[in-house]
Amino acid sequence: MTAIDVRSLRKKFGKLVALDDVSFTVDDGEFFCLLGPSGAGKTTTLKSIAGLVQPDSGSVSLGGQDASDIEPNHRNLAMCFESYALYPQHNVFDNIASPLRSPNLRLPDGEVRERVGRTADMLGVGHLLDRGVDQLSNGQRQRVALGRVLVRPAHAYLLDEPLSHLDAKLRTSMRAELKRIAHGDLMTTTVYVTHDYVEALSLADRIGVVKDGRILQVGTPQQVWDTPETAFVAQAFGKPRISFVSGGLVNDNGVTRFISSDGAITVPVSGVDAEAGETVQLGIRPRDLTLHTGAGEQQAGTERLDGVVYVLEHLGRQTEVTLRIGESLVSVVASRRDAEGLGVDDKVSLLLDPARVHVFGDGDDGRRLSR
Amino acid sequence: MGTTTEPMAEPAAPAPAKQPPEPPSTASQRRAQRGSAAGLFANLALVLYFAFSLLPVLFIVALSLKNNAQQTTTYLWFTPTLENYQTVLGLGEGGSSYVRFFLASLATSTGAVLVSLLIGIPAAYAAARYKFRGSEDLMFTLLSFRFAPELVVIIPLGVIYQQIGLYDTIFGMIWVLQLVTMPLVVWILRSFFQDLPAELEEAALLDGYTRRQAFLKIVLPLVRPGIAAVCLLAFIFAWNNFIFPFTLTSGDAQTVTVSSLAFLGGNQVRFNLVAAGAVMAVLPPLVLALCIQRYLVRGLSFGAVKG
Repeated sequence: MTAIDVRSLRKKFGKLVALDDVSFTVDDGEFFCLLGPSGAGKTTTLKSIAGLVQPDSGSVSLGGQDASDIEPNHRNLAMCFESYALYPQHNVFDNIASPLRSPNLRLPDGEVRERVGRTADMLGVGHLLDRGVDQLSNGQRQRVALGRVLVRPAHAYLLDEPLSHLDAKLRTSMRAELKRIAHGDLMTTTVYVTHDYVEALSLADRIGVVKDGRILQVGTPQQVWDTPETAFVAQAFGKPRISFVSGGLVNDNGVTRFISSDGAITVPVSGVDAEAGETVQLGIRPRDLTLHTGAGEQQAGTERLDGVVYVLEHLGRQTEVTLRIGESLVSVVASRRDAEGLGVDDKVSLLLDPARVHVFGDGDDGRRLSR
Repeated sequence: MGTTTEPMAEPAAPAPAKQPPEPPSTASQRRAQRGSAAGLFANLALVLYFAFSLLPVLFIVALSLKNNAQQTTTYLWFTPTLENYQTVLGLGEGGSSYVRFFLASLATSTGAVLVSLLIGIPAAYAAARYKFRGSEDLMFTLLSFRFAPELVVIIPLGVIYQQIGLYDTIFGMIWVLQLVTMPLVVWILRSFFQDLPAELEEAALLDGYTRRQAFLKIVLPLVRPGIAAVCLLAFIFAWNNFIFPFTLTSGDAQTVTVSSLAFLGGNQVRFNLVAAGAVMAVLPPLVLALCIQRYLVRGLSFGAVKG
């Protein structure tokens, strides 16, 4: 139970820049998620905290104390590796028991057995304790690796994609289990690395979005969802992904309007930190749009966009509809009833609340311009 | 050659036997028949090659059992006698130093292997895990001990050994044979260590073990097959070495490889005694190979990492 303070970490592997000025703090007892695509530097960050990677510069403090000179085995951190890193010569029991028998803890046999049994049961591998590691499926291995972490008290848990190899159903239940453990009475500080935004949103107290060795944004799930600071962050959350339309800003009698490059989409935008004439992109989340099939009145204060159906994906109760408006593609999630009878190339309209759009600078790294 | 063709021939041969007899008209049947003919031919070729490659062994064993009159004959019909073994072991009249040389061989070879393991295992581990400036050059230099002919260093070594009093000592022989075995140990074990994911040790560190404990408890047991293999290889290399004991020993530390030649000198040439000495000299590497055979099976590290 320790606060973790990561200060301007830099690390190069040969010519590859793995970490480029990574800074964030994790408060005592906080559940912190690092979210990003593979190769973003998430694992390197985690290993730097654990002391397994020596950063070229920057520092890691644990509980307010600089950890540079503390050996990994004295940091009292528990880490779950993405590759599991289970000891192949030991069975499941000995793997989970390993930290309890280490010189740091040296628990008596009875307590080891009790703790391992409890942890294994919680993770659903209680019946596998006598098995060799090579007799396990990947999902089971992953849970054993997680068990080796959760079995013991530690200053902090470092979890590297601990649920990535579980099947969908198990992943959901383990996610709930992890959430219960993390926010339970122990309140162990946790740094959780994932590329799955749902895991991040559901588990984290705060999320750090990483890309190319840089932290793009740190914030609560609410903050990163509502006010993404770059186009990349906006794209990292939500499925279907946020739609981007590139275009420019014009001043129309005192009202700033966004006009797409082909002129097919115009939306009034307010509170934008940019001058008219600038090239920007408009981000619209698929669930902020409603399908307007002609019948019924248009709600007040909404903008109407006309397009044709480009792709239809029926996903049970909902349908993902991708529309072509001019040259841009915009996705919307519609209820099955609304999308019923639609076919490709049908003309449809979308209703958009101008208050819920996001304006970003040009490109993937475009900064947020909406206030 | 034998080992590469064998796995190809193996599945072809038993396959047709399992199939129930059917009218021999289907395509699969014809293919199976052709396959069985090819398999039979391959097996025959392998047996021939096997006999061919074992012939020298058979010949030397036979020679070791022949008496003086028959020792230069090449046919295999003779009256076998154990007299040569008795002579070599010094059981008959005249005595022999063979046993002493045999023990010297054992001492120097075992010593060389132990020294190379003691230093080579940590060295191989370091070479596998820690990259530093010049680490590859260092490894290459070590390897160069292997590919440089021993004759290159033998004269300076001989002079130096005479001067510092290591000539004809067991310790001196261990020291020089270790030059032969150490590069072998380091190079082979390094690849074993490299095959182990570093995250295993990292996991052990985070479990609270020290670096030394992580190495001893987690890493070392996993490379046991490698150590077994390299032990055997190093022992064979040390045991069979001829040029170093030939030039650096004269009596006390002389090994079997050199002393067997003594039977060729003197007033009569005794090939049968050389053969008897050679057959007995095969035993230690053979016994060692049989003892550690089960460790030679690799594959313990499967399951450590996903995939």
